[in-house]
Amino acid sequence: MSTVEVQSIRDKEALASAASTEVIIDIRAMNKWFGQFHVLKDINLSVHKGERIVICGPSGSGKSTLIRCMNRLEEHQQGDIEIDGVTLDTNLKNIDQIRSEVGMVFQSFNLFPHLSVLQNCTLAPIWVRKMPKAEAEELAMEYLTRVRIPEQAEKYPGQLSGGQQQRVAIARALCMRPRIMLFDEPTSALDPEMIAEVLEVMIELADTGMTMLCVTHEMGFANRVADRVIFMDEGEIVEQNTPHEFFENPQSDRTKLFLSQILAH
Amino acid sequence: MVAAAEPGISAQQPKEKVDPIRWLKENLFSTWYNVILTALGLYIIYLVAAGLYQWGIADAVWVAETRRECLDKNPNGACWAGVFAWFEGFIYGRYPLDERWRINFGVIVLVLWMVPLWLPRVQGKIGIAASVVAFYPFFAGYLFMGGDKSLFLQVMVSIAIVSFIGVIVHAVIGVTSGGSLARTLLRLTGVSGAGDKLQRNLLIIAALAAVAIAFMAQAQWEVPTVSWVRWGGLFLTLVISGIGITTALPAGIVLALGRRSQLPVIRVLCTTFIEVFRSVPLITILFMATTMFPLFLPEGFTLNKLVQVIVAVCLFAACYMAEIVRGGLQAIPKGQYEAAHAMGLGYWRMMGFIIMPQALKFMIPNIVGNLIGLLKDTTLVTIIGLFDILNMIQAASQDVPWRGLHKEPMFVGALIFFIICFSMSKYSQHLERKLNTDHR
Ligand SMILES: Nc1ncnc2c1ncn2[C@@H]1O[C@H](COP(=O)(O)OP(=O)(O)OP(=O)(O)O)[C@@H](O)[C@H]1O
Ligand SMILES: [Mg+2]
Repeated sequence: MSTVEVQSIRDKEALASAASTEVIIDIRAMNKWFGQFHVLKDINLSVHKGERIVICGPSGSGKSTLIRCMNRLEEHQQGDIEIDGVTLDTNLKNIDQIRSEVGMVFQSFNLFPHLSVLQNCTLAPIWVRKMPKAEAEELAMEYLTRVRIPEQAEKYPGQLSGGQQQRVAIARALCMRPRIMLFDEPTSALDPEMIAEVLEVMIELADTGMTMLCVTHEMGFANRVADRVIFMDEGEIVEQNTPHEFFENPQSDRTKLFLSQILAH
Repeated sequence: MVAAAEPGISAQQPKEKVDPIRWLKENLFSTWYNVILTALGLYIIYLVAAGLYQWGIADAVWVAETRRECLDKNPNGACWAGVFAWFEGFIYGRYPLDERWRINFGVIVLVLWMVPLWLPRVQGKIGIAASVVAFYPFFAGYLFMGGDKSLFLQVMVSIAIVSFIGVIVHAVIGVTSGGSLARTLLRLTGVSGAGDKLQRNLLIIAALAAVAIAFMAQAQWEVPTVSWVRWGGLFLTLVISGIGITTALPAGIVLALGRRSQLPVIRVLCTTFIEVFRSVPLITILFMATTMFPLFLPEGFTLNKLVQVIVAVCLFAACYMAEIVRGGLQAIPKGQYEAAHAMGLGYWRMMGFIIMPQALKFMIPNIVGNLIGLLKDTTLVTIIGLFDILNMIQAASQDVPWRGLHKEPMFVGALIFFIICFSMSKYSQHLERKLNTDHR
């Protein structure tokens, strides 16, 4: 299949999923500072249910900070963030509720090294969702099968390769049955031969209709699954568009510069 | 060193076969200066061992009535007869002869209560450990002190008895069938089909009934009072350091978390507390505890010296432990907190399941080192007049028939401390290896 064909299929799908008009993430006029440093400037973003968004931009542009604001790993100072109808503010109950609905996958995996793979996956369902242990284990095995490592369930994270660890991290997040998944450069700490196995899992996840926000520089992945690509620079959302338009017809000079740099590799 | 790889078991690391002669050659006699060092080392070892053997065994006097008699028999040898005469004193202090069984009994109960913690098939180890820490002190406290029991003490002793018996039965069931006491009880009474809530209530009722029975039984039980003044020897050393050790870790964790708290009041309080106690020598704290502490107490309210000493030791140990815990917490990467937050775990669950277990593992060597230090530091209570093992050893040399007998009791005391501390150190190494699941 040529890229153009794939692209046209993706565009049709994008149209189809855009039909779901329910807004699940709504960020309005959000600003964030680290001390004096203005990291996020007047961010407006709304994400529909089932939408798949790729966020890219140069290093230090605030991509991580933006998605970390969505589950309150970072606190914003101005504006509103509404996730699935719940407003993120200092109310701890709201924060906990949002965190249990939003799964997150980190660049450095952040698995719990003292727990087995299975225990990593069952901890939150048991203690946050109050699920009986047997049921949680069954659920965990289901997701571990889905990321294709059920045979590693009894091992410890330190015994797995990077790609396997990241797949465990994805399964662990999915075990909470989240409505939204956030990925912060999930493949950039991996050796090239492991990137594909993680991307494959993410593509399958995208096909299930999960709402996904993914910070990544994997442009192939963006092309393949994204409904929308967001380009950030210096704390601002500079441009957003369908992947096709974004790559073929970038509007701003900053985007063009970034794309030329990233595609030069 | 050469590892002779055995073919066929390449899945495992090949075992090194050590040829002893080769090992000696490579490690001890490889160069001319290595040969000299080896020879020198061997000579020193020989001198020490020979000297010890000559003094402690060959020339030693084993049976005698007084030190005079020892010296008459052989003035160059050790006088173990004096140690034999005083050995019970080193262990029990001046605890009345007829009541010493109570100490033995207390130790046996403690050991039996804790053995299930090391049996692989027993479930609910955390509960067992908690029951020891929460209830054994009341049981042992009464057993060692004796006298009248207040109502509160009676209730606690009853609970302790029930938990102890429960733990033992539970352990036996666990070892033989891998089950638990609760489930066996439910099955025997035929209510295992009932709802969870009903089952739990039934178990609570059963436990209460058992406590009530134990309460009646222990009402008859009374042992004579033994004043704390008569406590001494290794027994006293272990009581003080045992309480210090068991409170130090939990209190240290609380203080360390307090010091990292977001709330300024708690943070400042904990920091001040830790810094003040850490900056003052234990001996000063002991003196202050026994002389100044009573000044703050209301008129007519007297604490005994032993309690004051124990409180002082606990506070001191907790502050040191707090700093160890804080160090361990700092070794945990930020990503672990973030991952725990991101999945919606609250503060206490995050600390309890994710952060503390990892931090404690890093801290084991430091913790055990600190506990060993604490055990040895408790000998300072000698100075404020408690008859711990060190003071009993000194008492032996003041005793009229054995006047001047210093070396031998000290030697035995050192040996006892060495055995205890060395086992703690070995156990900590074992624990470290066992808990090393990180494969980092
Ligand atoms: N905790 C913090 N305190 C102060 N400054 C911070 C903090 N975290 C991030 N920053 C700064 O905020 C800016 C945005 O950081 P962020 O991690 O969001 O960038 P990013 O787009 O994810 O970059 P990268 O591609 O390198 O991950 C950077 O300049 C960074 O130095
Ligand atoms: Mg980043």
